[in-house]
Amino acid sequence: MVHKYTLEILSVIAIIAFCVLFLYTSSTMSGAEFSGSDTVGSGLIAELSGIPEENFSPLIPQWVPPSGEIEACLFALQAAVGGIFVGGVFGYWIGQKKNA
Amino acid sequence: MHIMEGFLPWQWCLLWWIVALPCLIFGIYRLKKVLGTDPEALPLLGVTGGFIFILSSLKLPSVTGSCSHPTGTGLSAVSFGPWITAVVCAIVLLFQSLFLAHGGLSVLGANIVSMGIVGPFFGYAIYQALRNTSVNLYITVFLATALSDMFTYVTTSLELALAYPAEIGGIGSSFILFMGIFAVTQVPLAIVEGIVLALVFKYIITLKPDILIRLKIFSEEKINATRSDA
Repeated sequence: MVHKYTLEILSVIAIIAFCVLFLYTSSTMSGAEFSGSDTVGSGLIAELSGIPEENFSPLIPQWVPPSGEIEACLFALQAAVGGIFVGGVFGYWIGQKKNA
Repeated sequence: MHIMEGFLPWQWCLLWWIVALPCLIFGIYRLKKVLGTDPEALPLLGVTGGFIFILSSLKLPSVTGSCSHPTGTGLSAVSFGPWITAVVCAIVLLFQSLFLAHGGLSVLGANIVSMGIVGPFFGYAIYQALRNTSVNLYITVFLATALSDMFTYVTTSLELALAYPAEIGGIGSSFILFMGIFAVTQVPLAIVEGIVLALVFKYIITLKPDILIRLKIFSEEKINATRSDA
């Protein structure tokens, strides 16, 4: 490493660049809806197969979150579980290091 | 990268399940073996798996005007290889199928193959190719992570192209169309993910270098060289 904090600096630059890119895209691109690429992909499937999108139905019955709020809640839960794992282990390692 | 439930003909669902299942079984076998030989591997699995949980829940906007999520599989692919990574991904994808209507039970096999197996496999391959060279350790982790992410989406595009060949140009031209949606969106995300996870790897090296050496993820010389530089 050239500098002690090279990776930290690069990460901050990358994240800022990513945000700037988003602001640029959202202000210049007309019709950018920022829907999921899964949804856009499904649109293309409908186009290629000639079957209207609403005619696709689940092969195995599926529970769908009744609203975007509930979906956001469950996604946050997933991220929180990951955060607990990561934070818990880093804490455990820091403790181990202190005791060593 | 999720193929949505019902959007893949059942023959393809079945095929991808047949591909995914043996990989998962082998992954569980590998997981038991690794955790049995070294109890300190479990915390490392917690960190690398934790990032799969976190990053695959973040849907970020990209240059194509649509949103997509990183996969977070790179650290796990480097540390434990693609098979164990497939098991962790299967858990995340199952959760998303059951509770979020992202993907579904019939397409779960296809989604495990793209996010859990093929993506991490490419990341693991680049890591294997570079680990004993003079290439910087963080650049290796960056490339492994970014490629795991990219190839997940390339695989999804391929899975869909195989099932839905275009009338003119067949599989090739529909592959390009799906790549335009999935892979192009993913490029900036993969780069940012690669840099951030390389940073996380730096913290793992700072806190717990011995586990990386014991699991032979990187050689002792390489890890010590990185530590003395930092």
